[in-house]
Parts: sequence; structure tokens; C-alpha cells
Amino acid sequence: MAVPGGLRRQPANRGLVSHCTHHHIVVFLLTFFSYSLLHASRKTFSNVKVSISRQWTPSCQNSTAPELRPYELWNSSHLFPSAEEATLFLGTLDTIFLFSYAVGLFVSGIVGDRLNLRWVLSFGMCSSALVVFSFGTLTEWLHFYNKWFYCCLWVVNGLLQSTGWPCVVAVMGNWFGKAGRGFVFGLWSACASVGNILGAFLASCVLKYGYEYAFLVTASVQFAGGVIVFFGLLTSPKEVGLPELGADEDEASVEEDANRPLMGNDDVDDDDQNYSIQATDNDNQPKAIGFFQACCLPGVILYSLAYACLKLVNYSFFFWLPFYLSSNFGWKEAEADQLSIWYDVGGIIGGTIQGLISDVLQKRAPVLAVSLLFAVGSLFGYSRSPNNKLINAVIMAITGFFIGGPSNMISSAISADLGRQDLVKGSSEALATVTGIVDGTGSIGAAVGQYPVSLIQENLGWMWVFYFFILM
Amino acid sequence: LDLSNCSLQSVPPGLAEATAAIILDLTENPLTAVPSASFLGFTQLQSLAVPLALECPGGSDAWQNVTVDRSSRLCQGQRNPCNSSVQLAWPCPENSVCAPDGPGLVQCLCDSPFHGYKCLREGPFPMLLFGGILGAATVSLSLLLWGTQRRKAKSP
Repeated sequence: MAVPGGLRRQPANRGLVSHCTHHHIVVFLLTFFSYSLLHASRKTFSNVKVSISRQWTPSCQNSTAPELRPYELWNSSHLFPSAEEATLFLGTLDTIFLFSYAVGLFVSGIVGDRLNLRWVLSFGMCSSALVVFSFGTLTEWLHFYNKWFYCCLWVVNGLLQSTGWPCVVAVMGNWFGKAGRGFVFGLWSACASVGNILGAFLASCVLKYGYEYAFLVTASVQFAGGVIVFFGLLTSPKEVGLPELGADEDEASVEEDANRPLMGNDDVDDDDQNYSIQATDNDNQPKAIGFFQACCLPGVILYSLAYACLKLVNYSFFFWLPFYLSSNFGWKEAEADQLSIWYDVGGIIGGTIQGLISDVLQKRAPVLAVSLLFAVGSLFGYSRSPNNKLINAVIMAITGFFIGGPSNMISSAISADLGRQDLVKGSSEALATVTGIVDGTGSIGAAVGQYPVSLIQENLGWMWVFYFFILM
Repeated sequence: LDLSNCSLQSVPPGLAEATAAIILDLTENPLTAVPSASFLGFTQLQSLAVPLALECPGGSDAWQNVTVDRSSRLCQGQRNPCNSSVQLAWPCPENSVCAPDGPGLVQCLCDSPFHGYKCLREGPFPMLLFGGILGAATVSLSLLLWGTQRRKAKSP
């Protein structure tokens, strides 16, 4: 079908609505839900911590109470002699997960830029689902409990899950332009929190059947998601012949010609024309940029470090909140799970609104700074919150708003901005690499922070954990 | 089960297999002390005769009737230990109920829909329902999306 040449140069007013096709919507939803599912399986692990530690330890022994019979029913599992040791091990698992996730992020960003994003993403989702399945469900069905096995599986899981984020951000960056980016990305970056909510919801529904079923459910849903992504995802507009985004935004016509042809399926051109366009195309083949080049982009290092601190707090909340609620206030595990959803709700609203504000103001840094100031205040308020579910939920939502919001914004919108900066216009596939770097540094920060959290909690109590957060 | 006059110094190891015994006779054996755990599982025991030196296992509260002879002690009518004062002071953990396990001995078994280690799990998981719904949703979504999206994709 011949497309008239006049359409090559779209009118100047971009805006969100002008080129929003159903492809955009599907890409938005697919990437949104695929990352949500990845996050959901992580959340499952933190939600079932109480059940797992009960499974791994023998029954509580007061020296006065007689031993419980029958032995197989109450005391036969001796993986850890007591609940405290089990808790430490769970914290260790979190740490190694985050470390391998961080390493994987650096690698996956580079890999994703070089390979087909769709393949990487669905491979990552499906194989991570298989690993989670064997971690939680197979070990229980076979009654095979082994610490090293758990550790190895969790390391592999971290590496596989890290393929998700850089890929989805890169795909979103390919489809959505800079104009509405703050708002769209703010809304989209809610996917992590939605994933948390989904994971918490699924886990609390299925937990009564046994923790292995919680893992089974999230793993199989994630696997299904990977299959759907494989069949349905278009990684960039050029796959269906729509205008590549970089071209639209340039004013200079020189650069516009240098970019690959806008209408890929334009077969009205005669062969000579085609050949020359092809040649230019080969020259401008999206070169993924090197790792160190990406590091040296302005703003990358700065934002990475800031993100590291934020992510530490965010992930500590994420991993330990249900545990804290049930151990400090004595609430049942399922209720604690449901309440920890409020933190994520705050994060969603925060990410969206702050993205919107920063779009309107055209500046992201001030919004972040203000929000972080408020975050300190709300953390302080939360550490003092009483044993009342309603008040706790409200304060938790506010905290989520002020911490989760900037966190979401840095990881998505700003990464996309950085990766598509003018400096890397020629090799615009840097997006995945940059995202990988920012997120990787963040994860290292979070990983480093996990072990101190469980140590501090064991020895000094929860108040000190909160002070540690405020420090960060 | 008659084990009288067998010159037993201590409880024979094979005794644990005779848990279905209703009447047990251990008299005229030079038994000194018998740990109460040796009667684990003897829920049907209604009449136990031991040498005078021994107490009835579980104490006198565990039996309805304790008669003392010249050379032996007869314990009759095993009481349900789940009603005793000891049991009420220290009940079974969550989701489990007390069940007798021998004279003066209790065990905690899982309550009705609960099962598994420490009675943590409730009810059977609806595997078929879950698998069916998930499979159907996956197939239909994949087909739908493939039809609307990827069919138009060019190979790079």
C-alpha cells in the first residue's frame, strides 16, 4: 500500500493522543502486566515468610511443656533449630537475590540492546517462573529441604528476573515519545506496585492451602504471561512499519534523512532508492553503546546513587513489612499481607502524580527533592504509629506515596530520558543499558541494606530499623 | 497378652508392637522402673497388671480403678487423658485436637479440614479448576494478541 510522502513529516504538535494507536495501548498493557507478574512472584516470597519459617522449624519448645506427639507431625523438620535462625536465613536469601539481581541488571541491559527484546523478556519470564516453581513447590512436594539448593535457586532467579526491567523500559521508550513521557511513565511505573498488590492478593488467597500453592499460582501465572508476551509483543513501532520515534522529534531535516526510512513497507520506491536507503540504514544500525560510555552520560551516576538509597528503603519495606506487622503487632499473616497493600497503593498514586507534576514543570529534580523531604517526615510518623489498623494503613499509604513515588519516577521516566538524550541520538538503543545501570546500582544499594536490616532487627528491635531508614 | 513370670528386668523392645492388647499382664517380673513412654499407643488397654513395685503408668488419675493385691497392682479402665487437668492446662496447638495415645499419654492430631506439617494447611487445593482457567485464558489471550499484533510484524 503506497503511503504518500507528505505523511513522513508529522505536524509539530505531538502530545499523547495524536499518534496513539491500539498498538500503543497493547504494548502499554503487556509491558505493564509482564513486569507486574515478575514483581508478584517476588512479593509472594516475602508474604509467605512466616509460613515457610514455620515449615522449616520444629515446634516451639518451652522446657516445661511436654513434647508434642506424633513426632512426624510436629517436630520432624529440623532445617533450622529455631525461628530466629530461619528469619536470618530468609534475610540472607533476600540479600543474595538482590545482589544477583543487580549483577543481572547490568548484564541484561547490554544483552537486551543487542538481542531481540521480545525473546529476552519472554525467556526471562518463563524460566524465572520455572525456578520459582522448583523453589517453592517442588521442594515441598518432594520434601526436599536443603539450604544450598534454596540459595542457588534464588541466585538464578535473581539473574533471570533482571531481564525484565530493562526490556520493558526499552520497549516503552521505543513506543512513547518525550512529550507525555512523565505522565505516561508515571502511570506505567505503577506496574511494580500493582505487581506487589497482585502478588499479595494471590498469596493471601491461596496461603491457607499451604505456602507451596502460593508459589505454584504465581509461577504458573508468570509462565502464562511469558507465553502471552512472546505471542503478542511488538518491541518497537518499526516492526509494523509505524514511524520510528527518534525521527519525529528532530527539527533538523539532516538528521531525519540519516535515520532509517520512516515507512518500512514503502515499496513504491524504485530499486536504486531502496538500495541507498538500505546503505544508510546499515550505517546507522542501532549500535548498542558500551557499558562505560553509558556510565559517563551526564546524570547517570548521580541518579544511580540517589536511586540506590531510595531503593534500599523501598525494598526493605517491600520485603519486611508483612513480617514486621505480624511480629510487632501480632496480626495474622494474611491480614498483614492485605494491609501492606496500602503501601503500594501510595506508591502508585505517588508515581503518577509526581510524574504528571514533573511533566508540567518540565523538570524532574525539584519534584524528587521535595518528595524526599516529606518522605523523611512520614517515615518518622510511621515508626511511631499505634496498633490501630486504620491509622496504620493511612500512614503506610502516605509513606508509600513519598518513597515509592520518586522511586518509580527515577527508575522509569528518568532512565528513559537519560537513554534517549541528545548525546546518544545516533545509538538510541542505549536505553536498555542505561536502565540497567541505574537500576543495577539501586539494587546493589538495596542488597547491601537487606542484611543490616535483619541484623538490626534481631538485635536492637524495630525502632532502630526505622532510624536507619531515615538516615538513608 | 500374658507376660507374667518371664524374668523381665526391663520392658522388652518387642512390646511396642503389641499396641492392640486389651489385657496385659506383667506380674512376677523383677521390673524396677518402666518409663511411661513404653506404653505409647496402647489405647485399647483396659486391664493392666504390674508388680507391686511399679506404679500404674500415667498415675492413678489415668485409670478408673486401681486395686492392690499382695504381689501385684491391677489398673483397670483406662480413662481418656484428654479430660484430665494436665491436658486442660496445656492444650494442643492451633488447628489440632487432643487424642489419647496410651495410659496418661496424649497426642495432638490435626482437626478436620487441616492437614500437613503442624496442621498448617486447610483443605485440598483446587488444582483442576485453577489449571483449567489459567490454560484457557492463556490460549485465548495469546491467539487474540497474535492475531492483532504480531501478524503484521516484519522479520528484521
